[in-house]
Amino acid sequence: MLRREAPSNPVVLMLSLAALACWLWLPLGSIAPNRIVPGTAYSLPEALGWPLTVASCLPLLGLAVVAWRPGRLAYYAALALTLLLLMALPLWLALMAQRHLDPELPQARLGIGAAGWLALFWLSLLLVELRTRLALAGWQLGLWLLPVLGAWWLTAPWLESLALWQEFRGRGEAFVEALVQHLLLVGGAVGTSLLLGAAIALAMRQNPRVERLGFALLNFLQTIPSLALFGLLLAPLAWLSARVEWLAALGVSGIGWAPAFLALLGYSLLPMVRNTFVALSEVDPGVLEAARGMGMSRGQVFRQVRLPLALPVVLEGVRITSVQAIGLTAVAALIGAGGLGTFIFQGLGQAAMDLVLLGALPILAMALAVDALLGALSRRLDHRNGQTTGASP
Amino acid sequence: MSRSAFKRWRAPLAWCALLLVLATGGEWFEALLRWSDPEARRVLYPQADLLTLLLRHLWVVAIASGLAVVLGVGAAILVTRPGGRDFLPLVAQAASMGQTFPPVAVLALAVPVLGFGTWPIIVALLLYGLLPIVRNTLAGLEGLDPGVEEAARGMGMGAAQRLWRVELPLAAPVILAGIRTSVTVNIATAALGATVGASNLGAPIIAGIINGNTAYILQGAVLIGLLALTVDSLFARLSRRG
Amino acid sequence: MIELKSVTKRFGSETAVDAISLTVERGELCALVGTSGCGKSTTLRMINRLIEHDGGEIHIEGRPIREFDGRLLRRRIGYAIQSTGLFPHWTVARNIGLVPRLLKWPAARVAERVEELMLLLGLPVEQFAAKYPAQLSGGQAQRVGVARALAADPDILLMDEPFGALDPITREGLQAELRDLQARLQKTIVFVTHDMDEALALADRLVVMNAGRIVQQGGPLELLRAPADDFVASLLGGDDRGLKAAAITRVGERMLPLATRPMPPARVSREATLHQALAVMFREHAERLAVVDGDDQPVGEISLRRIVGAGREGGGEP
Repeated sequence: MLRREAPSNPVVLMLSLAALACWLWLPLGSIAPNRIVPGTAYSLPEALGWPLTVASCLPLLGLAVVAWRPGRLAYYAALALTLLLLMALPLWLALMAQRHLDPELPQARLGIGAAGWLALFWLSLLLVELRTRLALAGWQLGLWLLPVLGAWWLTAPWLESLALWQEFRGRGEAFVEALVQHLLLVGGAVGTSLLLGAAIALAMRQNPRVERLGFALLNFLQTIPSLALFGLLLAPLAWLSARVEWLAALGVSGIGWAPAFLALLGYSLLPMVRNTFVALSEVDPGVLEAARGMGMSRGQVFRQVRLPLALPVVLEGVRITSVQAIGLTAVAALIGAGGLGTFIFQGLGQAAMDLVLLGALPILAMALAVDALLGALSRRLDHRNGQTTGASP
Repeated sequence: MSRSAFKRWRAPLAWCALLLVLATGGEWFEALLRWSDPEARRVLYPQADLLTLLLRHLWVVAIASGLAVVLGVGAAILVTRPGGRDFLPLVAQAASMGQTFPPVAVLALAVPVLGFGTWPIIVALLLYGLLPIVRNTLAGLEGLDPGVEEAARGMGMGAAQRLWRVELPLAAPVILAGIRTSVTVNIATAALGATVGASNLGAPIIAGIINGNTAYILQGAVLIGLLALTVDSLFARLSRRG
Repeated sequence: MIELKSVTKRFGSETAVDAISLTVERGELCALVGTSGCGKSTTLRMINRLIEHDGGEIHIEGRPIREFDGRLLRRRIGYAIQSTGLFPHWTVARNIGLVPRLLKWPAARVAERVEELMLLLGLPVEQFAAKYPAQLSGGQAQRVGVARALAADPDILLMDEPFGALDPITREGLQAELRDLQARLQKTIVFVTHDMDEALALADRLVVMNAGRIVQQGGPLELLRAPADDFVASLLGGDDRGLKAAAITRVGERMLPLATRPMPPARVSREATLHQALAVMFREHAERLAVVDGDDQPVGEISLRRIVGAGREGGGEP
């Protein structure tokens, strides 16, 4: 059956058993007659009956078998099984909705239970593990995931009663607006901090006093918790906008985008300045010596050598800053800056957990996507920048 | 000796003293707070005195971070031993991916699962605080000079001796940096816990934002800032020693 | 031709180079030798104005270098350093073409020149042109460094410990290649090294420096036979220096013409060094060796006495 004998893989085994345990014992979902009343939880056997339950578990048992005798082919089989499990996830929920949702109650809604979320969690970890074992590149994994997205999209029409979907449908426009606001704040803060950070880093390279002072100040700023900084900016900005007319005309006030933007900018500056500074400073002195020795001018050395060599590290700064800003912008909703955090805090206030999810899930997805994209770009640029070593072949 | 010791601990001690003065002497600062927001009906946060809030805040962070250190360092040690090495790639990747999760989102996602109150926050902080610790401990243990490891084996040290006397001491600065990040982030995130029903230093800020009372915000914000600075300077002190 | 006339360089209160005078003739390979910190690298870097000299004069082809623009001067002088200084984000071909592009050569000519140089330095174009420096071995990277220094066909080449970071075998190979290259190209080369064997093997003239001053200069044999002081003698390897002299003298220079008596069975090439001839004598337990040419035809013979006497004949030692 298998060409190579290999020791069993305890990771895949453990993950699939954990997924199996959660899947069987925890509630798959809950059904509530309306938004306010807490729902009734159904475990998998209760929701779908034993035959379907056993059927839904079969791929997990298959995974356990693969873990017993792994090999390259077996890992591909495991990947296929994991994808199959992921594709089927919404299907079980849809079946549950069809069986247990009372058609008489148009307000009734289906909540995703712990089994659903944890299955997603364990399966994601399985994907990470299998990706490492098979040494798949990011885009290859992306291709493999396409059928999963397709399957979810096909199942969507049967999941109209999903609470998350209902929350979204109720606020379609507000959601888009919040998303745009979120992106604008993040993009604005990161963009500004990139320009400002580069300027500060260049100034620091000219003058060691500026360097010490700048880093001390930015480090200090970074330790102040975001909520505190947002709060502290309220009063001074309110005071300013009350006294300076053109600021008020710009829309600057104690609450809203202005304090959020300033706080985001403050937090973003440290990683940006640090990375730009380090990147510009740590170019191999031999390379610079050679560049000068070949007769390059200062401008040529900066543009053709220093800058391109610094770029991957600067980009790394943009990545860290962006991911951080995406999370901080969510907090900024507390001071009226809008963005997806609005849904989180509204949801928490109304104890409407699906509204919380409506805010939190896109934020999570955004952070992961930005991290993956910028990380890949930085690695791509860095790929050629390995330093020469003195080793003989 | 004691003089120089005092000098070395000056920064954390100064922040800590300022923190305690502000936390206990609320009434004395009333006039100052009054000035910050002359129109407000009352300027001292009425629900609980600041010292209680501070202690609650610290307690939550201490429990979450303490557990995170034990679990995080333990997990990282386990997966770098021969028996657990199979789990290393998964744990390393999960920890670095988990770092990208925004703390607010983690906290928000914890509520539907764990409910409102203090314990859910502790669990959320614990989970989130684990990531930088695991990541840095792994980096510290994996980044050791193989020559040192080889030499330790060559001298006849056992696996446990190598771990305690060589690997952990050498990796300590990196591990400590991870713990520092974890605790700092947890202090900030715990403040957000006030939005999910925890009573801590975040509470006056939230109350202030909702009621438009700058004085409340100021009390919470200044104390959280000072707490963060105290803890951070403490870690800065510790890491310079190691 | 490069002329240094009582050139001085101070860093703060420290005098790195103290009134040195030196002439490097056209087509000569001149090695600056000395312990680290003796001012040899500083001297080299003053020649292409990476460092400006404080006192004295430096002339290139009879003109003081201060008359040239520093950058233009450096584009006319080849420069190769120990860490190679290859740009890690550029391919091998682009690295080599750097100076010609700075000099605004047309692209086609740059490409042609790059291929020519890669061929010259034994780097097959299709194999190496598109590689990045991180993908090269130390020896290959150093070849690229030399090719880059030669790219714009400069008359003068400055080399700062170019083979310092390499393993002995790679280093010897590259030294031999540099010797061949120099025989063909006849550049004026100033070569900085702390490795006396490297200097003896490569240089037409050695300049020994200590604490910012020139202690002695002269041809390799001159130095070996008559070191100016204990410092030079110890740099030359103390008691070993007799063997070092033997290592740079060819058998052909010492052999006796063919005699009528029977030829000894053991043989050595005319091109071998006296050092190698000694080794053959040890191995063969012979005091006389037949000397043969490239076609293995006997052209003379050499005896132990001739070899041992070699040190005395030309030298000034009592």
